[in-house]
Amino acid sequence: MFSQQPLFEMRDIVKEFSGVPALSGINLSVRPGECLGLCGENGAGKSTLMKVLSGVYPYDSYCGQILWEGEELRSRSTSDSERAGIVILHQELMLVQQLSVTENIFLGNEMRLSCGRMNYPAMHQRAAELLARLKLTDVNVAAPVMNYGNGHQQLFEIARALAKEARLLIFDEPTSSLSAKEIEVLLSIIDDLKRAGVACIYISHKLDEVMRVCDTITVIRDGKHIATHPVATLDENGIIGLMVGRALEARFPRTERQVGAVVLEARDVSCWDVTNPQRKRVDNASLQVRAGEILGIAGLVGAGRTEFMSAIYGAYAGRSVGEVWVAGQVVHIAFPADAIAHGLCLVPEDRKRHGIVPQMSVAENITLASLSDYARIVRVDSDSELATVEREIARLRIKTASPGLPVASLSGGNQQKVVLSKMALKTPKVLILDEPTRGVDIGAKYDIYKMIFDLADRGVASSWCLQNCLRFSV
Amino acid sequence: MTNMKISSSELRLLFARHKLLAMLLALALIWLFFWHQTNGGFLRPNSISNLLLQMSVTGMLACGMVLIIIAGEIDLSVGSLLGLLGGLVAILTVNLGWNTWLSVAVVLAAGAALGLINGALTTRLRVPSFIVGLGGMLAYRGLLQLSTDSVTIAPVPDDLGAIAQAFVPPGLSWGIAVLIIVLTCCLTLARRRRHHRLGLKVPPRWMDALKVGAIGATAIGFVMVLNQAYGVPLPVLILLALLGVFSWITNQTVFGRHIYAVGGNVEASRLSGVNVMRVKLLVFMLMGLMCAFAGIVTTARAAAGSPSAGIGGELDAIAACFIGGTSMRGGSGTVYGALIGALVMASLDNGMQQMNVDTSWQMIVKGAVLVLAVWIDVATRSERT
Ligand SMILES: Nc1ncnc2c1ncn2[C@@H]1O[C@H](COP(=O)(O)OP(=O)(O)OP(=O)(O)O)[C@@H](O)[C@H]1O
Ligand SMILES: [Mg+2]
Repeated sequence: MFSQQPLFEMRDIVKEFSGVPALSGINLSVRPGECLGLCGENGAGKSTLMKVLSGVYPYDSYCGQILWEGEELRSRSTSDSERAGIVILHQELMLVQQLSVTENIFLGNEMRLSCGRMNYPAMHQRAAELLARLKLTDVNVAAPVMNYGNGHQQLFEIARALAKEARLLIFDEPTSSLSAKEIEVLLSIIDDLKRAGVACIYISHKLDEVMRVCDTITVIRDGKHIATHPVATLDENGIIGLMVGRALEARFPRTERQVGAVVLEARDVSCWDVTNPQRKRVDNASLQVRAGEILGIAGLVGAGRTEFMSAIYGAYAGRSVGEVWVAGQVVHIAFPADAIAHGLCLVPEDRKRHGIVPQMSVAENITLASLSDYARIVRVDSDSELATVEREIARLRIKTASPGLPVASLSGGNQQKVVLSKMALKTPKVLILDEPTRGVDIGAKYDIYKMIFDLADRGVASSWCLQNCLRFSV
Repeated sequence: MTNMKISSSELRLLFARHKLLAMLLALALIWLFFWHQTNGGFLRPNSISNLLLQMSVTGMLACGMVLIIIAGEIDLSVGSLLGLLGGLVAILTVNLGWNTWLSVAVVLAAGAALGLINGALTTRLRVPSFIVGLGGMLAYRGLLQLSTDSVTIAPVPDDLGAIAQAFVPPGLSWGIAVLIIVLTCCLTLARRRRHHRLGLKVPPRWMDALKVGAIGATAIGFVMVLNQAYGVPLPVLILLALLGVFSWITNQTVFGRHIYAVGGNVEASRLSGVNVMRVKLLVFMLMGLMCAFAGIVTTARAAAGSPSAGIGGELDAIAACFIGGTSMRGGSGTVYGALIGALVMASLDNGMQQMNVDTSWQMIVKGAVLVLAVWIDVATRSERT
């Protein structure tokens, strides 16, 4: 089925971050037209390995060899590896929010007229074609990307990768904000690419996607290569077993409980678009959550879930109206601080933009929202703060060498756990979760579900915004 | 990887971890150079006393400025504000004959209020702080010239002059030096114990001992040398106290943590319930207060209120912050770093004056050193990701 000559080979890749090994001797190879699934727990080293391959880390910052069609590849930057034909779609969104959709899709790869002028007509047209291929039709390609939600932005990233002439396409969790329908579109595009002889590497914690699109699966754990098998010889439980090195009993720790009185009620919430004040993003939506209840809010990408939730939370950028009742009383929420004071907490969808403070340490991020709980008058009691942090790190199994490291050095899934723990520490009355398990591995998902159920047992209501959330609604 | 590269990257790591060490090393080199060029004159007690006095004004501004820059803002009006507040204290005491301490209190309050105005323009009206600063730089200077009729106001009362011209009695200086040493010992021990209890990495004993020893030796050395002149100048003591207070604010308080958070990611901080507006307002207010301190010391030192006081002060303060390793983009920086930066700037001024270097060359050298220092800081920063 595939030509036997591999497109590239990585040999004995070792990468350390200030003495802590992230990759210890990994081998990997992919043939043209093959799709390789890369699986592993949060912090296993998947993204790091792909950054090595795509030149994000220059060739003298790691040990080992990369052979590209039999010749050694020494990329000093991503543009070197892009010239060879390696295109990577990063785990975190890398769009320039102020630039238009078209400008983002062609950033660094612009179509030119004479004298270096931008060829806007051609680029707009090509961008629209690319988006049409992704079945996105309601997008104005000349509008800035910040007008669009996370799911759309992820599709723009995919379009950007498709716009380049790739021979190897790396997808690092491309579907974490996409709905089932959009995922299906992406997977069929990957099938087309494979037929055209493009090699793909696909990283995802959603194993059904991996099983559906990949030909071969490689599992890594703690920076070490564990196994490579053809997909036909594996099932989901087999992959999980290889990933965690032990069997997971339950994947979903559901318990039954009584729900109490209504704690949060939102009535007739409407939001208007930030740039186009005529257009309603949310039209008279209402919501009721009871104590101990876990409410799922479903909807496609761009259906307005995020806008609805951020309007309740006082964080919506545009104009919004509506009434919010907490525990039977109408409250006025103008800022997130007001919402938190009334016992509402929000775990935002985009951890990079809204969740973490990258330069601050893991510990400082975890306690950011609840810092005054550790303060005697104004001074922070660092003993009790650190004790809490250590407990949280152990509870959610956040993988970090020390709580003092900057949070930006954590793997994506572990950053997500930090954001979640930050808001849960406020012990809110209502916890609003916008895609809380984005990019989190299966074991950690279990931990997070358990945490939410524990909170629910203590009477905390939560409302989830999810793509496929029917099975979560109580 | 070659051996050479490993050693250079190790060196880089060492400097990245112990930025303080690198900065002190650079300072030592500068001092050595001037000591050599002035035949030892640069390090005589009188000269050092003068150097520290000269540094204290920039240092006070840098204390406030570093918070502003960490919070992701900038304030260009501080030089003019310093002049205005220095002029105000002269007007109150000389022209209106007010009691000195009352005037000082009023000027401090006025500083905080003007800082609040800068902050309110930035946060409430959402005018970018760069523009607010630029406007303030012109407006405050104009206000000063208007209120002093562009003439120097002199002589100020003796007790006002004493704020900058008095010296701490030798005995008391020794007491303070001992206090500093005891305090450092206690803090270091407490930190070791806490790290140990929480299972965090405890630095090797010799390293902490070395650190405490170095701080102690510096404190004793300074008191010894300064007591050979007239003693520790009062403004230097004030600056030391400010260093303590501001370090405490940034490291220990909720407010301090929020400053770093706001500078690091405004959106994430807001969604976590941090009152971003209040944090920024307070930071600007502290900056105004520091301008008042610096203005009073400037007027006291010259024994006169001058309409040109503090010109270029904002640039020195900003340069000090960046030399001290504060990040341009906000979210990281330290108070002690900014003060070492201020000491570097003052040393360059002082040393080149003693060498009789032409003022144009002084500016060229200072500019070059600023760029060089920040380049070294960026280059030794631990790997970009
Ligand atoms: N810049 C960095 N500095 C220090 N450590 C880092 C850095 N980047 C990654 N690491 C560490 O390397 C390890 C592997 O991280 P990586 O991002 O590759 O994980 P991952 O497999 O992609 O996980 P996830 O599924 O959560 O995205 C982690 O333990 C992480 O803490
Ligand atoms: Mg990753």
